[in-house]
Amino acid sequence: FFIYNPIRLLVSTCDGVQVGLADAETIFALSSGHGRCGVAVVRASGPASSTALRCMTRLTRNLPPPRKALLRSITDPQSKEVLDRGLVFWFPAPHSFTGEDSVEFHIHGGPAVITAVLHALGSVPGMRPAEAGEFTRRAFQAGKLGLTEVEGLGDLIHAETEAQRRQALRQMSGDLGRLYQDWSHKLKRCLAHVEAFIDFSEDELIEDGVLNQVDTWVCDLQAEIERHLQDERRGERLRTGVQVVIAGAANAGKSSLLNTLCQRPAAIVSPIAGTTRDIVETALDIGGFPVLLSDTAGLRESPDLVEREGVRRARERVDQADLTLVVVDCAHLPSDAEQAATFLEGHLRSVLSPQEQSLLVLNKTDLLPEEQRLELDWELRRVSGLPPVCHISCHTNEGLQDFLAVLHRSVKTLCGDPLSCAPTLTQARHRAHLQQCFAALAQYQRYRDIDLALAAEGVRLALTSLGRITGHVGAEEILDIIFKDFCIGK
Amino acid sequence: MSDLIFLSLVSRHSSHLVRQQYDVIVVGGGHAGTEAAAAAARVGAETLLVSQKIETIGALSCNPSLGGVGKGQLVKEVDALDGLCGRAGDWAGIHFSILNRRKGPAVWGPRAQLDRQRYREFIQSELLSTPRLTVLEGSVEELFVSEPNPEEPGHHRVTGIRLANGSHPISASSVVLTTGTFLSGSLFMGQSKSPGGRIGDAPSSAGLSHTLRERLGLRTGRLRTGTPPRIVKDSVDLSLANVHPPDSHPTPFSFLNTHTHCKPEEQLPCYLTYTTPGVERVVRESLHLNCHIQEDAKGPRYCPSIESRVLRFPGRRHQVWLEPEGVTSDILYPQGLSMTMPPDVQLRLIREIPAMHRAEIHTPGYGVQYDFVCPTQLSPALQVKSTQGLFLAGQINGTTGYEEAAAQGLWAGVNAARCALSRPTVALSRTESYIGVLIDDLVSRGVTEPYRMFTSRAEFRTSLRPDNADLRLTLKGFEEVGCVSIVRYQEAVRVRDSLQDALATLQALALSTQNWRKKLPDMRMSEVKNSLLTGMDVLRYNDVSFEMLASAFPECLSHHMEFSQRLKIEAVYRPHCNLQKKEIERIQKEENMSLPQDINYLTLPVSLSHEVREILDRVRPTTLGAATRLQGMTPAAIIHLFNYVRRICFTYGKIPLSIVKKHYKIK
Repeated sequence: FFIYNPIRLLVSTCDGVQVGLADAETIFALSSGHGRCGVAVVRASGPASSTALRCMTRLTRNLPPPRKALLRSITDPQSKEVLDRGLVFWFPAPHSFTGEDSVEFHIHGGPAVITAVLHALGSVPGMRPAEAGEFTRRAFQAGKLGLTEVEGLGDLIHAETEAQRRQALRQMSGDLGRLYQDWSHKLKRCLAHVEAFIDFSEDELIEDGVLNQVDTWVCDLQAEIERHLQDERRGERLRTGVQVVIAGAANAGKSSLLNTLCQRPAAIVSPIAGTTRDIVETALDIGGFPVLLSDTAGLRESPDLVEREGVRRARERVDQADLTLVVVDCAHLPSDAEQAATFLEGHLRSVLSPQEQSLLVLNKTDLLPEEQRLELDWELRRVSGLPPVCHISCHTNEGLQDFLAVLHRSVKTLCGDPLSCAPTLTQARHRAHLQQCFAALAQYQRYRDIDLALAAEGVRLALTSLGRITGHVGAEEILDIIFKDFCIGK
Repeated sequence: MSDLIFLSLVSRHSSHLVRQQYDVIVVGGGHAGTEAAAAAARVGAETLLVSQKIETIGALSCNPSLGGVGKGQLVKEVDALDGLCGRAGDWAGIHFSILNRRKGPAVWGPRAQLDRQRYREFIQSELLSTPRLTVLEGSVEELFVSEPNPEEPGHHRVTGIRLANGSHPISASSVVLTTGTFLSGSLFMGQSKSPGGRIGDAPSSAGLSHTLRERLGLRTGRLRTGTPPRIVKDSVDLSLANVHPPDSHPTPFSFLNTHTHCKPEEQLPCYLTYTTPGVERVVRESLHLNCHIQEDAKGPRYCPSIESRVLRFPGRRHQVWLEPEGVTSDILYPQGLSMTMPPDVQLRLIREIPAMHRAEIHTPGYGVQYDFVCPTQLSPALQVKSTQGLFLAGQINGTTGYEEAAAQGLWAGVNAARCALSRPTVALSRTESYIGVLIDDLVSRGVTEPYRMFTSRAEFRTSLRPDNADLRLTLKGFEEVGCVSIVRYQEAVRVRDSLQDALATLQALALSTQNWRKKLPDMRMSEVKNSLLTGMDVLRYNDVSFEMLASAFPECLSHHMEFSQRLKIEAVYRPHCNLQKKEIERIQKEENMSLPQDINYLTLPVSLSHEVREILDRVRPTTLGAATRLQGMTPAAIIHLFNYVRRICFTYGKIPLSIVKKHYKIK
């Protein structure tokens, strides 16, 4: 189903070759669970680990001392943007889990941070996302696991690949699966036609027109893959969840909103301002879309060191959010509608960074007289550039249904509707394989008129890359297409 | 003994009489058998070749040509291992051309039309002059089998043969069967069916088929093939066909030859013509008279009879090549017109083609159905896994084509000899040769139709090129296999060293773009780079030849002109081959981990699913690498298998203790 070769890394145990030297690829993955955790561990293993560590922590000269924690800002090597601040560990070979050079990044657990760090690692040359169980396999290959542990490895890999297979199966039965299968089918035909031209054209009636057809297919396919790759990661969002952050002034009712939405007292609520100091996360299903909802500390100046850190984290989280719910206590709004609108405009500017997607949630609406609310609504409609506004009361649940409908619409836009528009990418791994596929098709075009064997090699590589998503394609299958499509007979 | 004619009587080994005991006996004198016998003798085994008719040794039973796309690679590789067919082709060729000339050197297909008589004469004289090789005319009646050597895997052991007419048994440590289409072969023409493997030859005895199936329990299948009628040359109006001239500079197959026996200007042309709607009509009208086409035995999809072609692709015109059969021959071979209808209908059919509207048939076409042994029962050494010392090669393994047969024959002969001389058998990897691809496909996947080589079967096609077969195989053939003569080896070493020297010189030649432009004014160098370009980089350009570089730098490059074409190819392909290296190394490592052949997969105390056990039990892969390529194998099963094998190795002490200590933390 998926290409995966477990003994690829195992064989070297028999001849005693060091693993890391034999396999130049460096792999990385999130080693802790997905989302919802305070701290996430991202691990990389392989020869490029030290490069990755250097360029992501701006340690230009020396690597950190082996196996010692070091607190660093973690930056994107390309954009130089600070992604997080966390602990980094350097494990030079052979003293690591896999026996290879390894690094670990202990970062904040939100999916946005994790995605950003994984994305940044993927941009370091020589790095690729790990296959399921690959760290364990490398450890096994390096002789880092004892005989009893090895006994269980087959089952472990079986379980992991089963999970992967089921996941792939789920995806493959959907639109995305159909899309990849369709591409794979087109590529198979491309290859079959090129191979037919190579293996049979000399004594058969296969004309040069066959290649012109392939040229068109390859061009179309490249364009399609390119469009697909430019989907702004909507599919990955769908898989890992939309980051929704609740932010606002202290005591606006942010934690109450979280509790109302998840229908349980996930966060402590009290009338005391500054109750929430760290980020509280919970996973929700909003109309079928996975949402990671975070409650944050109220934004205010505070002499309390702990609270100040909480506010810093809150601001950071808002920056990384896909959608921010700015909660405002209605009771604290100026009673004049015009002044209230001006206040809200300013408040949004102070909470959000420009261009950020948000919803304005006016809480405690039950405390507001009906007439004042209508005036405010009318006034807010006149101000351009404001996000959608919702009136709710976490106390009476008033307006909650309307709010949920608005939230659902926003989340849906962020994810892309898997049922209506073009299928989107769901996995970073798929993205990597598709990029390889795209590059390989360029090789076809480069060699098309110079050397057909090398051009065909490009199509072959493209099919192999796609095959890592859709399943293996063998030579027999290509020959079958050749015989189906052409009148071959020597 | 009077019925046995010794070829050696007419050879310079006239003092040889047939002995009672040989190291290797090869049964069959076709492409597989002759290569097998010659290879076994080269390796050092006392070898006996038994053939029904000495005069048909080295005969081209079907088309008078050798090589082609994919097949040409096999010929080059057989030659690189010091086999016969490449040199025989250079001697007998009367029309040389390189197919796919415009499609890249990796897929070039060296091909030649052959003079049948010259080819046979060359093969026979080679065999006669091969030391340690005796040729004997006779029909093998029985294969002697005894209890296996308990120290080796297998249920039986081959001990020798008995010839027909009750003569004495001849014993041997290894027997190579290359019976072609003769294993339970039937000939078909129209509605008549008769036993036999080739028209004009006696059918082989039923005893051999019986031994293979009943005594050794081998699974067999049935395949079919066919051959076209031969046409009287003078009766064909060649002015109505298109002339296809040969290459003006014939390229020899063999790495030992610089030119072909036939002079360029003495080459003969081929002719191309097409079928007409009338041909299709005759086929349809005569279907009820055609037994062969109605049978279910599988025929080749890529060498179908004219009947299959018009039935599968109706309403089209199909190519028919009219090929010369030899310098003095008065026969033309109509490639593409293999047919099995009654002879009078055959005549009607060919006369529907304008160029043959008055043609006469010399010998009618016919179909053959024959048994093959399912090749998954063989090891990569082409030895029957259940029977020690029994090797199979050629059509008996379900392949089609001279080149496929020759390649298997050579490799089976090598291993039969090594086995008889108590040396370990050897395998060729699919990462290093087309022969390896061929054998691996056969033994690990089996066949459902006659197997033919295509370049698309070789996943490392860009590395396995016709031009570098000597570097891939000749050195190994001498150093590890023992089937290559010292003369050929020394030549290959000289070539390797010269190429390495030239490539190093090119790599060391580093100039700026501007300087390259000055040196090579004709070159279109579009990129303006500040960095230096080496000679290798520049040679990669489409419009740059090695000759251009050599005239620009005569002092360091002109003495490498001998290899100008190979250097150009090497420069273009090297980056792509380097990319493939990692994958190649991985596969080679997996192939180096052999699985014990005596494993009982059904009861193996390892966690394997029932389906996986059945697959493993049926195919019995010889290496872990072959196991991973089986359909239906799961990653978990491979891990368990790997782990089991490692424990076995550990028990048998095949792994150095240092490694065991390192990996198991044993104090």
